[in-house]
Amino acid sequence: MKNNFYKKIIGLALLGALSIGCTDDLNTEPKYELTLEQLLQQDPNAIDGMLSKMYSTFALSSVNGAGSSDIAGADPGESPFVRGLINLQDFTADGMKNRWGDGGLDPLTTTSNWSANNKFFKYMYDRIYYTVPQTTNLILILKNRVEVSNEDQYISELRFLRALSYYYLIDLFGKGPLVNDDTFGSSAPLPESNRQQLFDFVEAELLDIENKIAPSNSYGRANAATVQMLLAKIYLNAEVYTGTARYAEAATYASKVIAGGYQLETNFRKNFATDNNTSKEIIFPLIADAVNSQSFGNTTYIIQGSIGAQTMNPANYGAVNPPDGAWSGHRATKAWYGLFGNSAADLAASTDVRAKLFWTTGHNWEMNDYKEWTDGYPSVKFTNLSSTGTGTPSVFVSTDFPLFRLADALLIYSECAARNASGASMAQGLTYFNQVRTRSGASAFPSYTLQNVLDERGREFGLEGVRRQDLIRFGKFTGGSYLWPWKGGVKDGTSISDNYKVFPIPTTALQANPNLTPNPGY
Amino acid sequence: MRNLTTVLKIAPAFLLAGTMMHAQVQDSTEREKQIEEIVLIGYGSKKKSDLTGSVTAVSEKDFNKGAIVSADQLIQGKAPGVRITNSGGSPDSAPNIRIRGGSSLSANNNPLIVIDGIPLDSTNPAGISNPMLLVNPNDIESFSVLKDASATAIYGARASNGVILITTKKGSSRTRFNFSSNVSFGEVTKFIDVMDADQFVTFVKDYFPNNAWSLGVGGSSTMPTVAGKLYDTNWQEQIYRTSVSSDNNFSASGSLFGKLPTRFSFGYNKAEGVVKNDDLQRFSAALRFNPTFFDNHLKVDLNLKGFRIDKNVVDGSGAIGSALTMNPTYPVFYDYVQDPMLNNTYFGGYFQNVIFNPTTSNYSFAGANNPLATLEQRRRPENTNQFLGNIELDYKFHFLPELRAVVNLGLDRSETKIKEVYEDFARNSIGSSSGVTTFNGFVYNPGVSYAETQNKKNRLMDAYLVYQKSFGKVLSNFLIQGGYSWQDFRNEGNKDLYTINQTTGVREPLIDTNNPTNGYFTNVNLQSFFGRTNIDLFDKYLLTFSMRADASSVFQGFEKQWGYFPSAALAWKIHQEELFNLGSTFKELKLRLGWGQTGQQDIVSIVGAFPSRPLFSIGNPNSQYLSGLNIYSALPFNLDLGWETTTTKNIGLDFATRNNLLSGTVEFYDRETKDLLLQVSSPPGQSLTNAFLDNVGKIGNKGVEMNLNVNPVRSEKIDWNVFGNFGYNKGEVIDLNEVTEINAGGNLPVGTGVQIARHVVGLQPMMAWVFEQAYDTNGEPLAGVFVDRNNDGLLNNDDRYNEQLTPNWTYGFGSSLIAGNWDFTANFRGQIGGKVYNGSKVALGFVQNALPQNALSLNNVIDFYDGVSSFNLVSPTDDMYFSDYYLEDASFLRLDNFTVGYKINNVFKSNSAIRFYGSVNNAFIITKYKGVDPENFGGIDSNFYPRPRIYTFGLNLDF
Repeated sequence: MKNNFYKKIIGLALLGALSIGCTDDLNTEPKYELTLEQLLQQDPNAIDGMLSKMYSTFALSSVNGAGSSDIAGADPGESPFVRGLINLQDFTADGMKNRWGDGGLDPLTTTSNWSANNKFFKYMYDRIYYTVPQTTNLILILKNRVEVSNEDQYISELRFLRALSYYYLIDLFGKGPLVNDDTFGSSAPLPESNRQQLFDFVEAELLDIENKIAPSNSYGRANAATVQMLLAKIYLNAEVYTGTARYAEAATYASKVIAGGYQLETNFRKNFATDNNTSKEIIFPLIADAVNSQSFGNTTYIIQGSIGAQTMNPANYGAVNPPDGAWSGHRATKAWYGLFGNSAADLAASTDVRAKLFWTTGHNWEMNDYKEWTDGYPSVKFTNLSSTGTGTPSVFVSTDFPLFRLADALLIYSECAARNASGASMAQGLTYFNQVRTRSGASAFPSYTLQNVLDERGREFGLEGVRRQDLIRFGKFTGGSYLWPWKGGVKDGTSISDNYKVFPIPTTALQANPNLTPNPGY
Repeated sequence: MRNLTTVLKIAPAFLLAGTMMHAQVQDSTEREKQIEEIVLIGYGSKKKSDLTGSVTAVSEKDFNKGAIVSADQLIQGKAPGVRITNSGGSPDSAPNIRIRGGSSLSANNNPLIVIDGIPLDSTNPAGISNPMLLVNPNDIESFSVLKDASATAIYGARASNGVILITTKKGSSRTRFNFSSNVSFGEVTKFIDVMDADQFVTFVKDYFPNNAWSLGVGGSSTMPTVAGKLYDTNWQEQIYRTSVSSDNNFSASGSLFGKLPTRFSFGYNKAEGVVKNDDLQRFSAALRFNPTFFDNHLKVDLNLKGFRIDKNVVDGSGAIGSALTMNPTYPVFYDYVQDPMLNNTYFGGYFQNVIFNPTTSNYSFAGANNPLATLEQRRRPENTNQFLGNIELDYKFHFLPELRAVVNLGLDRSETKIKEVYEDFARNSIGSSSGVTTFNGFVYNPGVSYAETQNKKNRLMDAYLVYQKSFGKVLSNFLIQGGYSWQDFRNEGNKDLYTINQTTGVREPLIDTNNPTNGYFTNVNLQSFFGRTNIDLFDKYLLTFSMRADASSVFQGFEKQWGYFPSAALAWKIHQEELFNLGSTFKELKLRLGWGQTGQQDIVSIVGAFPSRPLFSIGNPNSQYLSGLNIYSALPFNLDLGWETTTTKNIGLDFATRNNLLSGTVEFYDRETKDLLLQVSSPPGQSLTNAFLDNVGKIGNKGVEMNLNVNPVRSEKIDWNVFGNFGYNKGEVIDLNEVTEINAGGNLPVGTGVQIARHVVGLQPMMAWVFEQAYDTNGEPLAGVFVDRNNDGLLNNDDRYNEQLTPNWTYGFGSSLIAGNWDFTANFRGQIGGKVYNGSKVALGFVQNALPQNALSLNNVIDFYDGVSSFNLVSPTDDMYFSDYYLEDASFLRLDNFTVGYKINNVFKSNSAIRFYGSVNNAFIITKYKGVDPENFGGIDSNFYPRPRIYTFGLNLDF
C-alpha cells in the first residue's frame, strides 16, 4: 500500500520533470533589445531612429554614451570620426600641431615614423568600415523587409552616408574592399579595390541619388546640395585619386551648390559657435550637443583641446577647467597665422576677422618645441559660446562641426577656374574668391592665382579637416618644395617621402583580410 | 588602531574556546579515518579503481592549509594540469582556472564547477568575482577534477574545459561536532620601486627645472623654478595595511531521531584585503539531510546552502595606480586653514593637488588624486544573498532493484544589491570643475552615485534511469543509464545611473525614458539528452561509452542549436592479470585509454545571450542625434553561430604499490578544438562592426601530467608523505581559416587600444608580438631602436617576433609529516617559462612620464637611479611599447603554505581532539621577475593587487 503510493509519487515526479523541460524554452527572449518587427511596432519613427544612428556615426562614439564605442577595442574618446579627421587632416599638415604625443599623435603631428600599428589610423579605418556595412544593412532592410512610403529618400540618404565614408577611405587610405548591397553578407574576404574602382563606385552612387534625394531636408540630414558638394569634392581631387583631372565637373557641381540657396554668414564666427545650427552657410553639419549628443571626439575635441588654462581663461570659450576640459593640446603654427601677417601685432592690426581667432598672449610665434604649450598660438576659431558670446561652460560642447559649407564650394569653383577647367571662368572665380575674403573683412584681390587659392583655403579652413588634402592636391604635402614647422620631425621642416600621401593600412585590417595589401613604404 | 580593535573583537571567542579545550585534556585513541575511494564522475559515482577516465580526486587531508577564503585555494598546486591563477591578492579576486590549457580562444575557458550536483552559472552574481566563494571551504569533503573527455563528456555542454565537482560533507550516524577558528594577518611584501621624495626632487631639478614649482605645496607657476614646502610620503605605504581576518566555523553532524542523517554547519569568515577598506565577510549556513526510506530503496539527499556575502569594493587598481604616480613631495593630509589663501578645511582633510591659475583666477585639480582619499572617501557595499539548494531522489525499483530512477531538482538563486556612496567632501565626488573662482566653489556630491540590484535565478532538472547488474565472472559489471537535463539561467537587474549637470556641477539621476530602470536581462537555456554504459569484463577490462545531445539557446535554429558529443574509454587493470603476476607488488596498475568530444557555447560574457539574432538597441539620452527621434543601433550578430567542439584523446597509467610506498598517475593527452567560437576581426566592412564572434579555426593542446605520492614512513607514531606533480601543456593554434594571426588583446597600460597579444597559426595562443630591443654599449636600452631582424634596412612590423606569454610547465610539490602529536605541511608550487609584460616599467618608465600633458603637475616615475628603467628612455613612441625590453621571465617557485600543528587527543571526552596550528601562506617566492609578482594570468602586469604574505593562527576542535 505504502509502496504503491510511493511508486506513484516517483512516477509522477519523473513525468513531471520531463514535461517541465520543454524544448520551447530554447527560444529565450530578450527584454531590452528589440527585433526589427518589435521596433517598427513600438515606434512609428523607428526607421528615422535608425537613420539618426547612421548620421550620428560621424560624430558620436556609440548610442550608449561618450564612454562606450561601436568599435571593439577602441578608446571611445579617441576614436570618433571628427577627432580622426582633425588628427589625420590637420595635425599632419602645416597649420595645426598637437603636443600630447600620447600613443601615436607625435608621428601625425611631425609627419614622420608612420606605422601600421598607429592606433589613430586604425580608429579612422574602423569607423569608415563601421558606417559602410551599417548603412548597407539598413538599405537592405528597407529594400527587402519593410514597407515605408518614402523608401527612396531614406535609401538615398543612406547611400550618401556610405559614399561619404568611401570618400574618406579613398582620400586617406587609397584602397580597401568594396562592400555594397551585393557584396555585403558574403563571408569570404572580399578582394581589395583600388582607388579608381572606389572612386567609380562613389561617383556612380552620388550621380544616381543626386536627383532622387530631396532638395531640402531637416537639420543635420543630407539633401541634393550635400550630394552635389561631395561630387564637387571628389572631382576636385580626382587627379590625385585616379590620375585623371575632373576640374570641369568639380566646377559644375560647385556651381550647383552655390545656386542651392546657401549664403555666406556675414559673421564668419557664426559657423563655429553654438548657434551655428542657424547658419545659412552650413550645408552639412555634424551635430554636437552638451547634453543630448555627447562625444569626446566631436567638436568637443577641437574646443577643449585648443584651450589651455595655463595661458587662457577656458570660460571665455565656454570650456571648463582641467582636468575635465581645457586639455591644452592643439596650437596653430605660423604656417596658418603667418598667412595673416608676420607678428602678433600684425594679427591684431589685421582687418581680417580670421586673423584674430588666435590666442597670442603668453605664446610664442615660433614653434620651437611642439610639445611646449606656449609655442604656437592656440586657435579659438571654434567656441562653445554663441556667436554673440553667450552660453554656459561645459565639458561637452554644443557647437556643430561644419563638414561642408558654402565658402568651400566658392573656393572650389575659384580653384577650378584657375586650373583652367572648361566652363569655369576666372572672372566668376575672382568674384567668389573675393566674396569669401570680404565677408571676413579682408581686402578684395584684383586678380588671383592658384597659390592665392591655396593660401585662402589655409586662412579659411583651418581645423575643418581639409588641409592635408589641399596640400596633396597642390603637390606641397610630400617632398621638400614646401616646408612647415615640424614637417618630417624637424623644427623647420624637412622633405618627406611620397608614400606619406596615403596612410598605412592598419595591421588589424591586413590580418583580418589577407586580400588586403599594405600601402607602399610602410 | 582599526587593526587592534578587530583583534580585540576576535580574540575573546578564540581564547575562550582555547581554554575550555585545554581544561579537559583526556586520553583516547584517534580512530584512523578510512578514506573512501569513491569518486564522483557526473550523474553517478565510481570506485576509484574502476575509473576509466582521467579524474584527479583531492580530499580533505590533501587540501592546502592556512588562510583559505575560497574553495579554489584548497587545491591550488594539488592537481596536475590544473593551473589556478587568481587575479590578485584581494579576498574576492577571480580565480582563473585552466585545466590542461584552454580549449577555446575567446569563449569561456574556465571549467564547469558543480557543487553537490548543481552546475554553477559561469556568470557570477554582480557582487561576487569568485564563484568559489559560494561554498564554505570548511564544508568541503572532496574535489573531483574531471580532465579528459571520457570523464567530462557526460556533462557535455559546458564541460570542454573540464569539470570540478565539489562534494560537501554529509550527515553521519555518530554525533560529531566541530569547531574551528583562526585569525590571520596579511602584509604586502614588495612595492614597486618608484622614487622617494629626495630622489624625485633631484630628478625634477635635473630634468624639469621649470616645473619645480609643482614640488611640494605652495609653489606657483609664476616662479617656476622655486619648489613649495616639501613633504616626504611613500604613497604605496599609505594605501596598504596589515590585514586582519578571521574564520570561525561550527558544524554538527549526526542522525536526527536516530533515522535522519543530518549535517549542519555555520561559518563566519571576515576577510580583509591588504588594500585599505577592501573588506569582505561571508556568513554561510548549510543543512544537509540524507535519509533513506523503504529499506534503502529510496535515497533522498536534500541540500540547502545559504550565503550572505558583504563586500566593500574599493577602486583598488585606481588607488594603486595613483599611489605609484602621486608626487611623493605631497603630504597625505593637509590643513588648508594654514594656507593663507584659504580659510576653511577642504576635501575632508586629505591633501589634493589644487592649483591656482593666475591667468584664469581659477582653482582646479591637477595630477593624480590622493589615493588614500580614493579608498576612504567612497564606500561601495555589495551585498549578495545566495541560496543554493537541491533535492535528489534516488529510487531503486521494488520489482527490479537493478533499476534506479534518479531525479535531481536544483535552484541557484541570488540577489545582489550594490551601492556606491561618497562621503562628504570627497574630491572624487566633485563632478565638474568649471568656473571655480573660489576655493569654496567646488561642488561636492556626497551620497549615492550608482546603485544596482540584480536577481539571478538558475534552475536545474536532471532525470535519469540507471540499470546496473553483475552477470557473473565474465560480465562482472554492466551499467546503462539514460536521461534528460534541463537548465535555465536568468539574470536580470536594474541600475540607478547618475550624471553631472554641466551647468551646476550637481549630480542628477540619468533618466532614460526608453528604459527608466536601466534594466538588463539575459536568459540562457540548455537542454540535453544523455546516456552512458559501463561494461566490465572479468573485472579487468572496463569499457565506458557515453553520448550526449546538447542544445543551447545562444544558437538559433535546430541545426545550429543541437550538438552531439560521444565518448568512449577502455581501462585495463593490469594488476588483475594473472599472466603478469603483478598483484603482489601492485595494489593498482591500470592503463586507461579515452576518447571523447565535448561542446562549448559559453559566450554570454563576450556577446550576450542573444548573439545569433538581429536585434536593435535603444540609445541612451546623451547619445541622441537627429532632433526629436529616438536613436536605434543595429547590433552585430551572427546567424551561423554553432557549437565549438573539443576532441580529447587520453592515455593514462595509474599505479599504487601494495606497501603504499608509491602511488601515482602518468597521463598523456591530445586535445583539439574545432569551430572555435572566436572573437575575430571581421574582414573590414563585412559585418556590423569591426570584430565579432564566429566559428573559426582550430587549436590544439598536447601535454603530459604526472602525479606521484610517496609514503616513506608510515607507523603508529609517524606518517610522512611526499607528493609532487607537474603538468606540461603545449598549446598550438592550428588554423584560423582565412588568416594566419588574429589580435588576442593584451591591453598595455599606455592608454586604450594598444594591444600586444596575438594568436598566431603554428604557435601557442597568446603570443606577445614584440620588437627586439637594441642596447647601447652600457647595456642600456636605446629609445625606439630595435634590431632589424630581417635585415631589409627598414624597421617595421616584419621585424617583430613572437614571445610566448603562457608558461608550458606548472608544478607543485610538498610534504606532510605527522609525528606524534605534531604535524607539519609544506606546499610549493610554481611555473616554468612564460613571460610577463612589466607594465609599470612602461607606464612610469619614461622620463617624460613625470610631466603630464598639461604640465600643471608632476607624476612620480620609476626609480631610474636604481636602474629599473633607463634615462635613455625619454618619451614613449608607438613602437617602443612593443619592445621586448618590457617582457620578463615569469618562472617562479612559491612556498604557497607552510603549517605546523599540534594535536591533543581526547581533550574532554573520548573521540575528541583539539589541534592548534600556525601557518604562513605565500611565505616566499623565488623569481627573476622585477615587478611585483610574476604569477599573472593575462601576462600583462599593471597596477596589480599584490598577493599578501599571510600568517594564520588557529584551532580545530572535534568532539
